[in-house]
Amino acid sequence: MTINVDRPCGTFDSNYYQAMEIFRTPLRKFLMIAFIVLLYAIAFIVDDYIISILIVFCAFSIGMTGLQIITGYAGQISLGHAAFMGVGMYTMAVFQEHVGFNFWLALPLAGLVPMIIGMLFGVPAVRIKGLYLAFASLAAHFVIVYAINNWRSVTNGTDGMYLHRPGVLLGIDFMIDKYYYILVLTVTVVMIYFAKNLSRTRLGRAFVAVRDNDIAAEVMGINIAHTKVLAFGIGCFYAGIAGAVGGGYYEYVNVEWFTLTDSIWYLGFLVVGGLGSIFGAIAGAVVWKSLDELSTLVTPITEALLGGMAFYASAAFSLVIYSLIVIVVLVLEPRGINHRWQIIKRSYRLHPFPY
Amino acid sequence: MEDLLKGIMLGLASGGIYALVAVSYVIIYKSTRIFAFSQAGMLVIGSYTFWQCLVVWSLPIWISILITLAIAAAIAIIIERVSMRPLIGQPILAPIVVTLGVMLFLRGIALLFWHGEVEGYGEAFLPLGVWHVGFLSLPKIQVYGFIICMLVIALLISFYKYTRTGLGMRVVHEDHLVAQNLGINVKRIFQYSWIFSCAVAVIGGMLLGNIQGVGLDLDANGLIAIAAVLFGGLESFGGAVIAGLAIGIIQIFAIQYLGVLFPGEITMLVPFVFLLLILLIKPYGLFGLVRIERL
Repeated sequence: MTINVDRPCGTFDSNYYQAMEIFRTPLRKFLMIAFIVLLYAIAFIVDDYIISILIVFCAFSIGMTGLQIITGYAGQISLGHAAFMGVGMYTMAVFQEHVGFNFWLALPLAGLVPMIIGMLFGVPAVRIKGLYLAFASLAAHFVIVYAINNWRSVTNGTDGMYLHRPGVLLGIDFMIDKYYYILVLTVTVVMIYFAKNLSRTRLGRAFVAVRDNDIAAEVMGINIAHTKVLAFGIGCFYAGIAGAVGGGYYEYVNVEWFTLTDSIWYLGFLVVGGLGSIFGAIAGAVVWKSLDELSTLVTPITEALLGGMAFYASAAFSLVIYSLIVIVVLVLEPRGINHRWQIIKRSYRLHPFPY
Repeated sequence: MEDLLKGIMLGLASGGIYALVAVSYVIIYKSTRIFAFSQAGMLVIGSYTFWQCLVVWSLPIWISILITLAIAAAIAIIIERVSMRPLIGQPILAPIVVTLGVMLFLRGIALLFWHGEVEGYGEAFLPLGVWHVGFLSLPKIQVYGFIICMLVIALLISFYKYTRTGLGMRVVHEDHLVAQNLGINVKRIFQYSWIFSCAVAVIGGMLLGNIQGVGLDLDANGLIAIAAVLFGGLESFGGAVIAGLAIGIIQIFAIQYLGVLFPGEITMLVPFVFLLLILLIKPYGLFGLVRIERL
């Protein structure tokens, strides 16, 4: 075992349970709790604009964590993640409108329905892997978009659907944005906690084994088809929940919100954040959505400069700049922001010495 | 009977272009084992560049074609050198994400320069009009398009078969290391593959621009061609041609006969449902190489 320099000196593992702990030192536990408390406290300080950005960050962090489970942990490539997020949104809307469920009842369903659909599209994984599975998820995207567009009696077609936030619960009115943010943040924390925990379970280790060498994993007795399908299922569950809480903020959902381009950015910014760690997933989501926010902020400037061409210019610039970021990061730093962050932490810890 | 023949003719016409685009994927996959999603973006770039030369600058047709091919080659060299070569030896996710990124980059470039408006070549490229053969009416652009597609593919296959570079490409397809040891410049072969592939994709873009109108939506054809590549097998030219034509015919028949059952636009749905079926039944396609792996 290599010496782990990511820890303060004097912290050694003397048994397996210590090696499996999430927070290895009390300081880390304290910092994490302080950070989460800060995230909650921020709701009462900032205005609604910041709240809206934070809600988007939270929702996409959940979705990106789901993709991290599929791609970062289990090593399967999904080109339909945005579509599964859309399935989550639509499940929420359909169960609220046609069945009359409230938000709380529809939320688990908004995870389970994409999970089942994701597992169905993962079934080809029984025989194929890698690139071929990416094609299967690409097909999933087109089938889902077609179904939403044309199953008009249920999904309203291209007109989109309305969904509702939960009403008043325990005296908290979730129609007010900051309380809804607290709800979304709670869901995010719970989901990310489960994802973090997953990597320590039997299933999580099976995912990593399949990613690293699927033949070796099979030899060791892991049912790889089962594992891959389950990875798709869990990842799509996360995507669905992300879509449901995100759509709940806008109280409206439209099929045009999840394009193939979004699925590609999902994958691209996952790599920008860093594969194989929850921190990387959150970093990727935050970078992606910050860029989105930045591009809407600079739209008035481009409009002033370019006049009528501004619409094309901002759409084109976002395509060009995002893809350049993804390509440059993949070529120069394939391990993403997470790796940089580890390097920074390490050099801080070892300060006077270079290594 | 009449409907059947008409369907087959229409299917062959669109299938010819799917075959051409499928071949452009196969060229790169054969030598580099990378699936170049970016070729879908090359279709858009090719059609717009050709339109710019031919209609806006009203250059002669041969010069326009040469300029378009030259730009395609330049883009191919840049993509290969800047973004693909550093990824040699990386896990399969990296080239997939990068080629997808390049696809969106090319789309962004096209949007930046041409604002996403749908244009047409008019009379400038291939002659318009219709031939009447019995009860069939054949649009001339589709017939010419089909012939050009088949000619380009035949040219490529004979290039692979009869030239020294083509032989090198076939060796590289077998094994990169062995090819390197035999004194073949593998990196150079990669570069040639990208150039040929982009040139083929650009020709596909020109023909598509003539039939469907020059626009950003042409990259959908590139995605449909993925189903064709997979059906034919990722490494086979013959397979790509047969599968491309088959996808074209299946698409037309599905629209004709299943359009009643499935409302709305099913041009994109049919190839991808077909793709899922292939993945379930015969994942390595008709003529694809089934790689046997071991620990």
